Amino acid sequence: MAHKLTKPSSLSRRGMLFGATAGAVGVAAHAAALAGVPPQASAPGGDDVVDLTQTHPFYGDAQQAGISTEPQRHSMFMTFDLTTAKVGDLQVLLALWSSAIAQMMQGATIGQVEPKQPSAVGFDTGEALNLGPASLTVTIGLGPKVFSDIYGLSHQMPPLLRELKQLPSDQLDPALTGGDLSVQACADDPQVAYHAVRDLARIAKSTGSAQTRWTVMGFGRASAGRGQSTPRNLLGFKDGTRNLKEDAEFEQFVWVKDGPAWQRYGSYQVVRKIQMHIENWDTDRASDQNNVFGRHKVSGAPLTGTKEFDTPDFKKVDATGNPVILPTAHIALAAFENNKGIRILRRSYNYTDGLNQFGQLDAGLFFMSYQNDPAHFEMLQTKLGASDALNEYIAHIGSGIFFAPPAPKEGNYIAQEMFS
Amino acid sequence: MLQNSLRRPLLLAAGFGAVLSMTTALSGLARAAETAPVVNGVSQVHVTLVSDNGGACLVDFDQVKAGPITFTVTNQTATAITEVEIQSDNRILGEKENLAPGLPAVALTLTLGGGAYQIYCPGAGQELQPFTVTGKVAPAATGTTAQLLQDGTIGYAKYVAGVAASMVDAVKILKADIDAGDLAKARAEYPLARPFYERIESDVDSFVLPGFKATDNAGSLDYLIDMRASALDPKVGWHGFHAIERDLFQNNAITAETKAQAAELLTHVEMLAKITPTLTYKPEDLANGAADLLEEVQTTKVTGEEEDFSHIDLLDFAGNVEGAQQAFAFLEPGMMKIDPDLTARVQGEFAKVNAMLDTYRDKSQPGGYELYTAQVKAADAAKLSKAIQALQEPLSKIGEKVATAEK
Repeated sequence: MAHKLTKPSSLSRRGMLFGATAGAVGVAAHAAALAGVPPQASAPGGDDVVDLTQTHPFYGDAQQAGISTEPQRHSMFMTFDLTTAKVGDLQVLLALWSSAIAQMMQGATIGQVEPKQPSAVGFDTGEALNLGPASLTVTIGLGPKVFSDIYGLSHQMPPLLRELKQLPSDQLDPALTGGDLSVQACADDPQVAYHAVRDLARIAKSTGSAQTRWTVMGFGRASAGRGQSTPRNLLGFKDGTRNLKEDAEFEQFVWVKDGPAWQRYGSYQVVRKIQMHIENWDTDRASDQNNVFGRHKVSGAPLTGTKEFDTPDFKKVDATGNPVILPTAHIALAAFENNKGIRILRRSYNYTDGLNQFGQLDAGLFFMSYQNDPAHFEMLQTKLGASDALNEYIAHIGSGIFFAPPAPKEGNYIAQEMFS
Repeated sequence: MLQNSLRRPLLLAAGFGAVLSMTTALSGLARAAETAPVVNGVSQVHVTLVSDNGGACLVDFDQVKAGPITFTVTNQTATAITEVEIQSDNRILGEKENLAPGLPAVALTLTLGGGAYQIYCPGAGQELQPFTVTGKVAPAATGTTAQLLQDGTIGYAKYVAGVAASMVDAVKILKADIDAGDLAKARAEYPLARPFYERIESDVDSFVLPGFKATDNAGSLDYLIDMRASALDPKVGWHGFHAIERDLFQNNAITAETKAQAAELLTHVEMLAKITPTLTYKPEDLANGAADLLEEVQTTKVTGEEEDFSHIDLLDFAGNVEGAQQAFAFLEPGMMKIDPDLTARVQGEFAKVNAMLDTYRDKSQPGGYELYTAQVKAADAAKLSKAIQALQEPLSKIGEKVATAEK
């Protein structure tokens, strides 16, 4: 049922190839040597193990799964509009979602796939059968409208939850923006993530509580968690070299620690659909790409260093007195050293929507960040949106903000306490 | 209401330890020798859903006195179980849905005569829990629910026959306009002739003319009456309403071919009108037919595919919805007994869809609805589809309910 794909770190791609087909690689290596360019190994790191039998717990005493969880390979994100005016419907929806998520995260169906009664419709749609739990996590977010007078919940509004300010360079499409509830499913099998969101959408409709709003399917994690090597976004650069990984960092920057008990170990979730102008980027010269990011493409090292995790030196100048990392470079604008120490957790995925109406690759980054104050994201994006050299190659086209409450304890449903 | 009841001190609030002891206590209570207590003349049975062994359905008494019985269902920790049914030999007598941990207990009261019954918990390790009602044997089941549903199918059969007869009348007028070569009148009459078929399509789309194989479109009445340009069979060619629609709205001309098509259409709808009074239905046929009509809305109306030349798709949309709502309405009296919550939800979604359709009414159009132009489609297709999706999910549950209702 489950497949285990282990890629031990000791086995580099080059080493593997030499062992397997020494002759052929000999030729390739020879050719590369003649061209003066060493072939670049693309061995995954030792952390890059996919075990489709792995599970994460849904119930807990602190944060929801899927935030500090090491990012899985694939994601499916969807937002929903509430369609009911009854608080009881919202409670039933969150309770049924909680049950279903608990089942699916264990690799179980949420109900019958093929009911014996011939006139019955299946409860579970079935496409995740036999795929294993695949480390599935499903994280629920509550949008600002949940805390409106309609549901009598305005007094429970997390204090910092609000619509995001309009930010420089925003090109938001209303069809890719907003939502009253968010669902982020992440798994090491894309079909497991897809099934989770699809079946939760069915539950939303069958309870009459919510309807779908917008969605992004993500492939290839574009952020690293603890113990994971840094992956690459579709621009080919390592993304999230300086991401949050340690518990103390999560305590300081991610988790909400005050307010009513039901909000503690919650976090503010910001999502942005960021389109990339892929064709333009691909024809940009290597030195310019490096200057745009402030890093070397292959090693990930800052332009002032030699290794990925070298600390960037934003003051360093070259022989002509110009800064080595340009002030408009992406990392210069985003670095915590230049932002009063502020850091956010990034948990992004690459996405593609095929080709656009102009025959261009329609792809980019589904950016997701968690922070204990949405103003932290706004501060960073205000700077980036105004001056980032990368803006020539990207556009923020979708957006959303939600509060991800803590995990429910067993026997409860998500955010249950906010109704009392 | 739900919010208030949540304020009651549930056992859950006491924590995991309390839940465990509750579970143990409940298991210990299920003793065959004891009969459920009676409070104010009503026997009290508690059904508790817990996560043990992947999901267990615990019943505190398995013997109950004949008469009114209240089943109080609490889902403590069972994520695999979302509904509980009271059954007698696979027939549903009553049920509770949308059970999930954290929600307050729900109660269901039934009056049962002596005999063997089952509590059915789909998703539990042991799905069926038998229980015995002792005392007077119930009178031979008169089956009021079954009777209501049966009455509904008879009423619905008359509705279908009536719609088919009206379609014949409308097609006769359309044919007369076409025979007279009056393009303007024919264009105004076409929308008036269309909605009938859309109301009953799911009941009449499987008839084959005598002497034809089921796979031969040349003998399929549905093909001959309602085929769209998008699904033509080149061997058989184009017939029916939409071939006429093309002549009236795209070619802007009535030809000898148009007249032949109109005559053929009248023959075929008259055939349908003869067949429909002979049809009988099971309750689940009404439910499945209603679901099929909503599928039609999604695949051919929201897309604007149905009326490619006249753009009266919203009129057909309303026709499909009316047909689905009629089928549901004939099941409503029985469904109110089986599952009033679900019935109310479906009623509510029909009301939302109709309120939305009302916003497109336009008296200046012969069909009474705005034309479904490319602009309207681009702006509103998603909204229209989502309203139907919200109706489809709860409606899709009705077939099972009426098929398994108490007889």
